[in-house]
Amino acid sequence: MFDRDIWQEIFHSIKNNKLRTFLTGFSVGWGIFILVLLLASVNGMQNGFTRQFSDDATNSIFIRAGVTSVAYGGFEAGRRIQLRNSDIEYIKRSFPKDIEYISPRIYSGVSARYKSETGSYNVQAVYPDHQMIEKTLVSKGRYINENDLRNASKVAVIGRKVAEDLFKKEDPVGKFVEFNGLPFRVIGVFTDDGDDNAERGVYAPSSTFQLMYGQNDEINQIALTYNPNYDLTEALEFSERLESVFKRKFKVAPQDQGGIRVFNYAEVFENISNFTGGLDFAVIIVGLLILLAGIVGIGNIMVFIIKERTKEIGVRKALGAEPWQIIKLVLFESVFITALSGFIGLAIATGLLSLIGPNIQTDAFANPSVGMSIVVTATVILVVAGVLAGLIPAMKAAKVRPIVALSDK
Amino acid sequence: MIEIKDLHKSYKMGSNSLHVLKGINFSVEEGELVAIMGSSGSGKSTLLNILGMLDNSDSGEYILDGVPIKNLNETKAAQYRNKFLGFVFQSFNLINYKSALENVALPLYYQKVGRKERLEKSLKYLDQVGLKEWAEHLPSELSGGQKQRVAIARAMAAEPKVLLADEPTGALDSKTSYEVMDLIQKINDQGNTILIVTHEPDIADMCKRIVHLKDGVIIEDKKIKQVRAEQYV
Ligand SMILES: Nc1ncnc2c1ncn2[C@@H]1O[C@H](COP(=O)(O)OP(=O)(O)O)[C@@H](O)[C@H]1O
Ligand SMILES: [Mg+2]
Repeated sequence: MFDRDIWQEIFHSIKNNKLRTFLTGFSVGWGIFILVLLLASVNGMQNGFTRQFSDDATNSIFIRAGVTSVAYGGFEAGRRIQLRNSDIEYIKRSFPKDIEYISPRIYSGVSARYKSETGSYNVQAVYPDHQMIEKTLVSKGRYINENDLRNASKVAVIGRKVAEDLFKKEDPVGKFVEFNGLPFRVIGVFTDDGDDNAERGVYAPSSTFQLMYGQNDEINQIALTYNPNYDLTEALEFSERLESVFKRKFKVAPQDQGGIRVFNYAEVFENISNFTGGLDFAVIIVGLLILLAGIVGIGNIMVFIIKERTKEIGVRKALGAEPWQIIKLVLFESVFITALSGFIGLAIATGLLSLIGPNIQTDAFANPSVGMSIVVTATVILVVAGVLAGLIPAMKAAKVRPIVALSDK
Repeated sequence: MIEIKDLHKSYKMGSNSLHVLKGINFSVEEGELVAIMGSSGSGKSTLLNILGMLDNSDSGEYILDGVPIKNLNETKAAQYRNKFLGFVFQSFNLINYKSALENVALPLYYQKVGRKERLEKSLKYLDQVGLKEWAEHLPSELSGGQKQRVAIARAMAAEPKVLLADEPTGALDSKTSYEVMDLIQKINDQGNTILIVTHEPDIADMCKRIVHLKDGVIIEDKKIKQVRAEQYV
């Protein structure tokens, strides 16, 4: 294999047949080029999806309560389920190892006024933990803290758009704004680069709003994040546990999504990775077909070459070349051309990707690139391809009878 | 050196077969220079190809340097060809993309002679045929006579027991033919065994023995007084 002479023979043969070598190599190089670009595109789509979702914490779970849709446990259908503060304490107590952050969400709309400026905004009344769950970026001031919560302080963190609407050029932090006629001190301004609409919202402590609206402990939704070390299976397993516990607690039928609904981002991710996984598979099939066409092309050209070189092979045999030595010559040449052109295709494709890849940052598509595993796989495929392409022509060459090759006709 | 007994060969052509060699008996001693003569189609090349193990006979015995040549597989035949035989063809059959030197070195490559020794040896043989200065030239840059001399050097480089030449002068003009024959005679003078197929009487006269073939049998086998080619060069 590492005999210098056989390589010299191969280089000789390649050098003296440049066009032939180019035509042969082109199909395989092209095949690999397309395969790598296709795989990189799938990778780009995956990156795009991940980026879109990573705006919110990707390990979040939401528990919503509604109206039961089926009769269960002695209750009729149509019963309203109400989540309360105690449910949060209950989760904290029951799943201490699974929970990372947890917060209630109480939704309400307010009419706001600052000096002469007015507007209507949605308020989410939450715990301090909510900042981590929603990954809220506070650009000025601070977020709600434990003190605010304990004292049911009338404080608010307002969105950037709210600040623009009401305060114009003024710095809102420390100023008082009226919500439904009650003064709230602005403690911070948040931004959300994913979403303008979110910046039209307001956060306040949940205790404050519960006090304002009749001293109750009702909440609309529970938002939480689970242990970030969980993989997809563990995540799904945890949310199933959570769901069944809650459904039992509120006597809701296990399959009733109306009464209690536990929504896990991981489910979405599972769907996406199933989808892109399928795409990966389809791309590999398409790529392999293109490559196969290349291999057949090389095989054909090699057979043609053997025809052309029949006389030369006959001479070699007359001079004492053994069949195996002839096979080796043809096979190595085929593997060499295949591997070389494949690598050129690979290099061009990866070069192109590293040039333009980082510049592609749209919503659904980001930084298409190929990993080491693809490169290694492609290499193995190439060598196998070369052997396959060369095998039949090599056998043909080994069967050339010197007597036929040498007859002077 | 060569001993053949009752050698038969026919070519199958569809349903009928053509009986080309119909019982050939002859032997060649070491150091002989034999011309195989006969009209076109008389079976000269067929005989030479069987002697060269490029083709198989249908029946009969063939012993080369004491080794019976029978039922050889491809690999064995290749090894025997490499060890025992050198070939010279009418159309030279040099490999067109290899230099004169590389062409001469090829049989040594298949003998698995090391690179350095191979090139030294090849150069020595090129020198013997008077083409040392042409070592790096491609066959396309050589005249017909020069090509045949390279081919002879290539055949001799492997130091074979027998040199087989099928119409070595068939593609050359008479002056060049004599030059080639002069070279062959000198190689023979050194003790090498040579068989030449030809249908030209003047070439045959430059050998030491003429075997006349007609319709697949030997009709005449005589020793002659060699005409030296040197005087015509
Ligand atoms: N491969 C072959 N197949 C069929 N017939 C052949 C083949 N080779 C030679 N012949 C026939 O055998 C006869 C002898 O051929 P050959 O030995 O080449 O004659 P020569 O060399 O004396 O001219 C010729 O009639 C030729 O047509
Ligand atoms: Mg002939």
